[in-house]
Amino acid sequence: MTDTTRPDDPTGTETDRPAVLVPLEVLEGESLPTGTAELLANAHVVLLGYHVLPEQTATEQAREQFGGTAMSKLEEFAGALADAGATVETRLVFTHDERTTIDRLIYEHGCLAVLVPNGTERVESVLVAVRGTVGIDRNARLVAGLFAGTDVAVTLYHVLADDETVDDAETLLNGVKTELVERGMDPDGIGTLVEDAEVPVDAIARHGEAHDAVVMGETDPSVTTFVFGMPSEQVAERFLGPVLVVQRERPADAAGE
Amino acid sequence: MVAPDGSEARDGSSAEVGGPPTDPAGPDAIAEIVDADTGEGELERTIGLSGGLAIGIGTMIGAGIFVFPGIAAGNAGPAASLSFAIGAVVALLVALPTSELATAMPRSGGGYFFISRGLGTAPGAIVGIGLWLGLVFASAFYLVGLGSYAGQVFLEAGIDLPVDPAVPLGVAFGAGLTALSLFGTENTASLQNGIVAVLLVILTLFLSYGSLDALGVFGTESTPERFFPPGGLLPVLQTAALVFTSYLGFAQVATVAGDIENPSRNLPLAMVASVLVVGVFYVVTVFVATSAFGSARLGEFGETAMVEVAREFVGLPGAIAIVIAGLLATFSSANASILSASRAVYAVSRDDLIPATASRINLQYGTPHVALGLAGGPIVVLTATGQVELLAEVASFLHLVMYGLICVTLVRLRRERPDWYTPSFRCPAGLAVAGVGALASFALIAFMRPASIGVGVAVMVTAYGWYRYYATDVELEGRFEHD
Repeated sequence: MTDTTRPDDPTGTETDRPAVLVPLEVLEGESLPTGTAELLANAHVVLLGYHVLPEQTATEQAREQFGGTAMSKLEEFAGALADAGATVETRLVFTHDERTTIDRLIYEHGCLAVLVPNGTERVESVLVAVRGTVGIDRNARLVAGLFAGTDVAVTLYHVLADDETVDDAETLLNGVKTELVERGMDPDGIGTLVEDAEVPVDAIARHGEAHDAVVMGETDPSVTTFVFGMPSEQVAERFLGPVLVVQRERPADAAGE
Repeated sequence: MVAPDGSEARDGSSAEVGGPPTDPAGPDAIAEIVDADTGEGELERTIGLSGGLAIGIGTMIGAGIFVFPGIAAGNAGPAASLSFAIGAVVALLVALPTSELATAMPRSGGGYFFISRGLGTAPGAIVGIGLWLGLVFASAFYLVGLGSYAGQVFLEAGIDLPVDPAVPLGVAFGAGLTALSLFGTENTASLQNGIVAVLLVILTLFLSYGSLDALGVFGTESTPERFFPPGGLLPVLQTAALVFTSYLGFAQVATVAGDIENPSRNLPLAMVASVLVVGVFYVVTVFVATSAFGSARLGEFGETAMVEVAREFVGLPGAIAIVIAGLLATFSSANASILSASRAVYAVSRDDLIPATASRINLQYGTPHVALGLAGGPIVVLTATGQVELLAEVASFLHLVMYGLICVTLVRLRRERPDWYTPSFRCPAGLAVAGVGALASFALIAFMRPASIGVGVAVMVTAYGWYRYYATDVELEGRFEHD
């Protein structure tokens, strides 16, 4: 019942590996942050090198001049990820609008999550923010796919909503835990934490500091194109570590047009 | 519709690590001309239909409504609306073949790209360099118009200036816009879309009111003057040649073809629709203007005649609305043309017709500083001449040569059917439309004043001379790969 493998598997590489998009502005000197390779060792990484150009510049023009340099950097990072165990696909895109590009690639590769690339010294414990029942399945696929069979400790975290009791929340988190265990994770490595907090974003960022990485969902289901400039980014800015933003299922007809 | 596996067009773009390496220097097959990865990255298309329309309409509308009506009516009387209609027909005859070529070759560079690939290097060089300078002349023309409207602001504010500020202000705007394009990295597309939307609203209101008034709904019907000017059809055709500058924008859509999403649908739509929209606006504008004032009077008002027309109808608020609209419109025309001119420089430089340095991008700002300088520098100089009509006609001349050759290219490709020629949009009655389009384009040139023809021919001869001197070993016909 939990098998959600899409029949039209986008990458043709569907294994248990969750597809994670890692966007890097390679020409702006952004490189693969420390710890990324370790964090994503079990992932299928879609490594996106991109460069944003002002409108007065033809993207072709930039590709001609910088394409080679950017591609070789990207291949270098791809090598590092592959050495750590990940399967890697690289894409290099010259664009006028990074959101369009990132959104298109999430869709094309059926990415479960996008990494906000920050560095971390080690990957030992991960905070997983669980918002509600929606999207739990994708959350679980990502977390179990990345960390099942590793020593990474996972803390499931939920901020109480107004009309919610602690019992409700614990039922929710235990449901997630069961699903993670079904997917091969060690129950001893999974903790739960329920809290009443004013501003969930602040709470997640604060708790994140005690962990090495954060997994959280996209925020507003009505906004389809935003990855950055969102609570996930606010968390990443304060927490300063890597944040995996779990993407909603993309509707089949929302393709790149 | 993109398949969820993203396999269309961008297939082969993802290099599986450990898989077969993509050869970065390998030639891309013609199927990849869209923007698939050549081993050096793929290109994101970010301009939709509304963006394409905004480029087309935004580039064109500044001239036809805010600069020409007074001058045109002074030359051709109420029949100036016929001159604008003739221009629209010629533009449509060219827009259709251009659309077909653009969907077969959706690459930046527009007309230059089609002609160099379809007809060969020499015509390509003449058109490419001609397009750059044509856009330079057009930008200078728009800037003088912009200067006139900026000057009008002082007049409306009751500030008396000792000299006509149009030219100095135009020069200042030219320098400012060039600097902005060099260093500005803000996303200006939405701004441009907004400007065009505001313009269309102001103009629709104004022209609806003016038309109803002219037809006698609000009082007395204005007595129409004799439709044709004393000289008969000749001044009408001469005016058509002069005001053709108002239609240069549609091909600008093709210069950014490489950025347009879903080009096979959006390119033809954006080009044809923008010509139709502005054509209707131009014809109605002249009708309204000539019903408000006698043509001779309009002619005296010069570039800012529309301000007086609006004042006549709605008083000071109308005049102010039109001054603002005129500033926006000429500003967006000038801005779009400077950027297109820089794209034209890039296109010829990419093909080694001029030194590659010209298209270098400054990594810090991400802008092609040399190309923008090659556009902005001459624009400022030409603006300083203040010769509105000469600038307009030379711009039209150089574009009309390109348009005629675009039609010739279509005829040739339709006849020879090279393998790579698979347009997704086919111009209806292609050969006939292109044939008439070519004849009409070249014929319109004949009605320009000798000075404009002289300057235009000089530019073409110089371009050809440069080609003979610098680029005889470049072979462009049917070439699509990089480098």
